[in-house]
Amino acid sequence: MLKLSDVHKSFGKVEVLKGISLNVEKGCVTAIIGPSGAGKTTLLRCMNFLEKADSGEMEFDDENLDLKKVSKKTVLSIRRKTAFVFQNYNLFSNKTALENVMEGLVIARKIPKAQSKDIAMKALEKVGLKDRADFYPVSLSGGQQQRVGIARAIAVNPDVILFDEPTSALDPELTGEVLSVIRTLADEGTTMVIVTHEMSFAREIADHVVFMEGGVIVEEGTANQIFTSPKEERTRKFLASIIKK
Amino acid sequence: MAEAGRKIMQLDFSYLVKTFWLCVKAIPVTLEITIVSLLLAVIPALVIALCRIHHIKVLEQFGRIFVSFIRGTPMVLQILIVYSVMPSLLNSFVKKVGLSVNVFDLNPIIYAFIVFGLNSAATLSEVFRSAISAVPKGQVEAALCAGLTPFQTFRRIVLPQATVSALPNLCSITVILIKNTSLAFMMTVREITAVAKIEAAYGYNYVESYIDIFIIYIFVCLTVELIFKKIERRVVFAGVRRAKAI
Repeated sequence: MLKLSDVHKSFGKVEVLKGISLNVEKGCVTAIIGPSGAGKTTLLRCMNFLEKADSGEMEFDDENLDLKKVSKKTVLSIRRKTAFVFQNYNLFSNKTALENVMEGLVIARKIPKAQSKDIAMKALEKVGLKDRADFYPVSLSGGQQQRVGIARAIAVNPDVILFDEPTSALDPELTGEVLSVIRTLADEGTTMVIVTHEMSFAREIADHVVFMEGGVIVEEGTANQIFTSPKEERTRKFLASIIKK
Repeated sequence: MAEAGRKIMQLDFSYLVKTFWLCVKAIPVTLEITIVSLLLAVIPALVIALCRIHHIKVLEQFGRIFVSFIRGTPMVLQILIVYSVMPSLLNSFVKKVGLSVNVFDLNPIIYAFIVFGLNSAATLSEVFRSAISAVPKGQVEAALCAGLTPFQTFRRIVLPQATVSALPNLCSITVILIKNTSLAFMMTVREITAVAKIEAAYGYNYVESYIDIFIIYIFVCLTVELIFKKIERRVVFAGVRRAKAI
């Protein structure tokens, strides 16, 4: 459904992505793991053009795109078919939880307000925050804010949801509530790409696990393969260091 | 010294009251200069701020130079330049185009609009620049990810938040501008200070006149500050209050 081939990206002289090829299957959860600085987030951001890749191709929705030369129109249309959940939630602080979720529906997709409100309320209900609909982000906890962020993502019914370390900014107590929401989405067959440091979570919900280091994909496979019998030495080392902690 | 002291002791109260009301009548002129200049400046200031934030070639440099020139020269000098150069420039332009307008008959307030407008454009652009930059970049990204166009993102997410954080600075700029308009008397505009000076010149009642406009400026500036405080409280706390009410 979403296929990347040979994606390169540099920031100045530092090459962050050194030819990444990745296949995201419909209805599958793809987890991207790896040490800091591996290029995981950059890869995710290249998928919806928050970063512009230097070269590479992307196949999405039966469309073949040269990542280097995409029109503004294409970028907009891809962004309207995808959703992004940020590490720092990035809720619009001038809008309530409900308005945050409605924004992409009413303004970007021109869905009538009443209908948008219904969709948004359903999304908030799904993440367990129906009673917080009229709260501003400032009066929500981190976990609640991230759940609103997820509601904002699912409300637009995207082809794929991209998660950028959705629980990294949360304390362990709040991490649980966010992960359980993502788990529900996985059970419903939502296509997701998740960059995460939560190894046990990745192991539990991911259909496909990708281990990245130094701008390349070192190893990929099913969760079982990667976590129980990694082939590469580097994967083993990384997992061992994480488990030791 | 003793002479001056006696003069103060012998304030002409009937003159003081009479001139006070004359000067009060000039408040609309002062406010007109302030408001028109600010309104004229808003769009150019926004354009300069955006060009500088988004590093748009040539325009960014132009903006920076413009702001440095305005900030780096005294207002009095700017007034002298505009008031002595502009009319002749305008005149030769009008003649070239073939219009039958006498530039020297123009209401001098036009020149006040130009000077204070240019000045406000420079100061406002800095206020806008900092206010827009203060909106977290992540929210802009989130809006783009939600499928909003860059313009929709600016209008619906950036601008409302930038406005709130710009308000305190907008208030100071407005108050400073009101006080600066007193220099418009140099361009023969009959605003508060000009009226006071003209009245005082008849009978050398300068002290009385200055007391009058001292009170008037304080009153006008405090009122403007109060209005801004009200607006600020409204927009800043609207969200919090609404959230608490539920």
